[in-house]
Formats: sequence, structure tokens, C-alpha cells
Amino acid sequence: MSEIYDIGYRHYDGPRLGRGHATRALTVHTLRGVFGLGRTARGKIVPFGLVAIMLLPAIVSIAMMALLGQRGLSYSSFAVVMQAVVAIFLAAQAPTAVAPDLRFRVLPLYLSRPVTITEYVTAKVVAMTAALFALVAVPLTLMYVGELLVDLDGPPATKEYLGALATGLLLALLLSSFGLALASFTPRRGLGVASVITVYLLSSASVPIVYAMLESSGNDAAARWAWLLNPFWLVDAVQAWLFGSVPNADGDGYPAGPVSGVLVVALIAAALAALALRYRKAASR
Amino acid sequence: MHILDTEGLTRRFPTVTALDGLTVTTGPGVTGLVGANGAGKSTLIKILLGLLPPTSGSARVLGLDVTTKGAQIRGLVGYMPEHECLPPDVSATELVVHLARMSGLPRTAARERAADVLRHVGLAEERYRAVGGYSTGMKQRVKLAQALVHDPKLIFLDEPTNGLDPRGRDEMLTLIRRIGTEFGISVLVTSHLLGELERICDHVIVIDGGRLLRSSAIADFTQTTQSVTVEVDEGTGALAERLTQLGHGVTPHGRMLLVQVGGPETLDAIRDAAADLDLCLIRLEQGRHRIEDVFKDEAAHV
Repeated sequence: MSEIYDIGYRHYDGPRLGRGHATRALTVHTLRGVFGLGRTARGKIVPFGLVAIMLLPAIVSIAMMALLGQRGLSYSSFAVVMQAVVAIFLAAQAPTAVAPDLRFRVLPLYLSRPVTITEYVTAKVVAMTAALFALVAVPLTLMYVGELLVDLDGPPATKEYLGALATGLLLALLLSSFGLALASFTPRRGLGVASVITVYLLSSASVPIVYAMLESSGNDAAARWAWLLNPFWLVDAVQAWLFGSVPNADGDGYPAGPVSGVLVVALIAAALAALALRYRKAASR
Repeated sequence: MHILDTEGLTRRFPTVTALDGLTVTTGPGVTGLVGANGAGKSTLIKILLGLLPPTSGSARVLGLDVTTKGAQIRGLVGYMPEHECLPPDVSATELVVHLARMSGLPRTAARERAADVLRHVGLAEERYRAVGGYSTGMKQRVKLAQALVHDPKLIFLDEPTNGLDPRGRDEMLTLIRRIGTEFGISVLVTSHLLGELERICDHVIVIDGGRLLRSSAIADFTQTTQSVTVEVDEGTGALAERLTQLGHGVTPHGRMLLVQVGGPETLDAIRDAAADLDLCLIRLEQGRHRIEDVFKDEAAHV
């Protein structure tokens, strides 16, 4: 036997930290899981592959600035241009954050500890938001650092960069709350992936259809509302409203005013409420 | 000190009453909670963890009220669920460390405790492999380890021997006994198999349909009775006849006889009768109550 000596059971009399510590530990654990850290190599391929794809335009942009002396991709348009990659990341990784705990009934192990269900859900949303924000913010920051180093003519676009970061955080919160809500209603991971990607494709595909329909009937003003059906353009409309960035929508831009901002806040609230309801039910089982 | 006490604890669900006026107290040590499926065992544990509010009545765990001090109780108590609850893609070490941190242990302490506890439950090198490839016995050990990792004062074990083979069952029971004695952690263990609890418990609570049938120390259940079991090779009938003639109370019990003992002379009479009839005496054994018998008797009265 490998046991040479048995020192017997030892009691633990060290510090016991509060629920804040536990919530942070769960956030970090979830964040690691989203990027496949501490999991098998297979779990790392998708998240890190997508991160690499997100970095490519930033590198190309820096190269353009250095070699041609002109900007490639603007900060404010980065998220909209790269939206398919961000959506795939959300669809692929949101289920890993919530589905196993529901499917394999790990939740009771958490709930039999001091953390409450609210803290559990908060940790999951914060972790997923942080992951999506990093996915957008890291390439943006790389581009900004590149711009500073290349030293283009004229002042650096610091305001646009910071605006893109703030918008990126809002986008991450909107996407993660929706993605997690959808994934938590479909605990099988494959179904979760499929449901998130389906909702994204539907929202994306409906934009040109609704837009074309309204435009052909001469309703140009109403057609602008079609952009808000897709979360990336919706958040871009908030960016245009808050930071005065150039709209990434074709034609005459978005509906004016704070309506897009109100819509984003309402959607986030609705998704969080759905999550809360879902987990209240899961907790009572 | 009472480890837990309940007072008229009642929990109604829309269609069933899971607990019905349960009043019970237990002290330190290993307490068995016995009842058929649906007797209210799991509901009681959920209430004691502060996860389910009682419809009426009150309950306290380690002197803390379950309705107001739930979070504090859950910091001091460990819980091993009945059902499977392990994610397959993480290793036992990673899972137990993580859950230790969820109980408030700092990172380094969580690692040390997880290693300690996994060794105590008997998981060696395999603790670095993904849980998905574990046998049922190993999974049960991981479930037990996560309940112990934060060094609780009390642990609730819901059907810990479920799905184990006889050897695994034996090892699990021995481990639970050690937790209650060597580790100094009080245990509330549920089972529907009474024989198991006989071996490891200091105290047994029997519930049925959400009501208390009986709560007493194990010694009361299994105290010696005033009867001996007699087994002979052949001629059981003849022996029974002879003893009845001599005025002893005899009840046939399968191939054996249960004889009421009035005093030492009864044993002499059995010996002499067997010798006279030229019978081969195989067994002469002091009778003992088994919890099962008590349970049957009590259930019959309800």
C-alpha cells in the first residue's frame, strides 16, 4: 500500500470567508470554464480559436496603419463587423457556463452552501460578460496600442476607442444575459448551442427582410427601426447616440434619440428576469 | 447540546403532506433517519438546510433557526445528496477544491483540505482523472468528500449506500462510523435499509408518512430479549412437544424454535430435552431485537 503513515483526521480552524469570496470564486471558476482552462485540450480549441480570429483584423489594421499610413477598421465598427464570431463564441461557450450544473444536478451542491441562488446567477452573468467583453476589448486595445506606436498623422482616436470599449461592455452584458437565459432553458449542451445560434441567425436574417419590406412600401422612416432587431446593430445605435460615432448601418442610420438605449436596458432586464425565474424553479426541485 | 431539534414541523405541498407535526431531537454522534421512499426524509433535510420553508412548526440545527439562519447553518453543515450530482468533465480534486472555496475556504486551505479529505474517503491517484470515468463507488466517495471538505460540525448523508455493491456498502458504512467517532463530526444518515443503520448508528429516528414513529437510542432497539433461539438437526417437532409439556412457551420460527426464558432452568430443560430425545443441538442463541422487528411492530399499530 502507498499509505505509509496515517496522521488521522485534522480539523480546520483557519478563516472562513464570506459569501462575497464564494461568489468571486464561482465567477473565476466559470470564466476559466468558458475559456476551457482546467479542462481537456479539446475544450480550449473553440474559445482560443475564436479569440485568434478576433485578433486577426486588429493585426491587419495595425499593419495597414504602419505600412499605408491609414486606418483599417474603425474602433466603433469592430463589434458589428466581427459579430458572427462573437455570436459563435456566445453560442459555443454560454452553455458550458450554465448547462452542466443543471443537467448533472450540481446545483444542490452549491445551494447547500452559504451562497444564494441570486449570487450564483450573478456570478454566472458576470463571468460570461467578462469573457465576451475580453473577446471584444482585447483586439480593440491591441489596435489602440498599435495606433499609438505607429503614430499616425493627427491625434489618436482615444474618444472613439473608449466609446467602443463602453459599448463593448454593454454588448457583452446584453449578449451574456440572453445567451445564458437561452442556455439555461435547454440544459443539453448541444441544444443550448443550437438555440443561441438560431436566435442570433433569426434576428440577423430578419433585419434585411423587414428593412427591404418597409423600404419598398415607401416607409423609409420605419425601415430604420429594422436595424434594432439585431443585438449588434442595436448596441451600435446606442453607441451612435451616446458617443456620436458613425452608424454602421447602411442607408440613413438608426432611429434618433435614446430609444435604442431604453430598448437595450429593457432587453437586459427581461433576460435577467427569465434567468431568475428559471433558477428559482431549478432551486426548488 | 442538541444537534437538531424540530417542534411540530409540518410541510405541505399542493398534493401531499410531506411532514406532519414532526417533533424530534437528536444529540451528537451518528443518527439514522429511517423511512420508506416518500416518508419525508429528503424534505426534512431540505428544511434543515434552510432551503425549504416549513408550512408550520419550527426546526433548529446546531441551535440555529432554519428559517432565519439558513446561510449560517449551511456554512457549518455538509450535505451529500441522494442523486448523482457530479459534472463529468472535471477531476475530483478540481471539483472538491472549488466547492471548498464555495464554502468560504481560502485557496491554499481549500487545496490542503481537498487533498486531506479525498485521502480520507479513499481516493488515491484517480482523483486527478475526470469524474465521468469513475465507478459508482468512487462517485459516492467524491460526493462524501465534498460534504466534508469544509470541516462541518454536522453532515447530512442522503442514502449514501445507494447503488453500491456489498463490499462498497461495507466500506461506506465503516467510513460513516469513522466520521461520527474519529472525526468527531455528527452525522444524520438516511436509509431505507434498517440493517445498515443498526451497525453504525447511536440513535435511530423512524418516520413514516411524515410522522414520527419512534426515536430512541440504538441500544433500546436491540436490547436482549427474554428468549433463546434453538436449532436442532432433526426432530424440531418432538423437541417443541417435549418443552411445551414441561410448561415452556415455544414458538416455531422456520426451522428453529423461539423459547421463552423464565430463568436458568429453561436452558437446562432445553439441554436435557435434547439429550433425552437424542437430538443433535446445533444452536442455542440469546435472542436480540432487530430494528426491523421493532419497525414492523410499530408500523402495525399505526
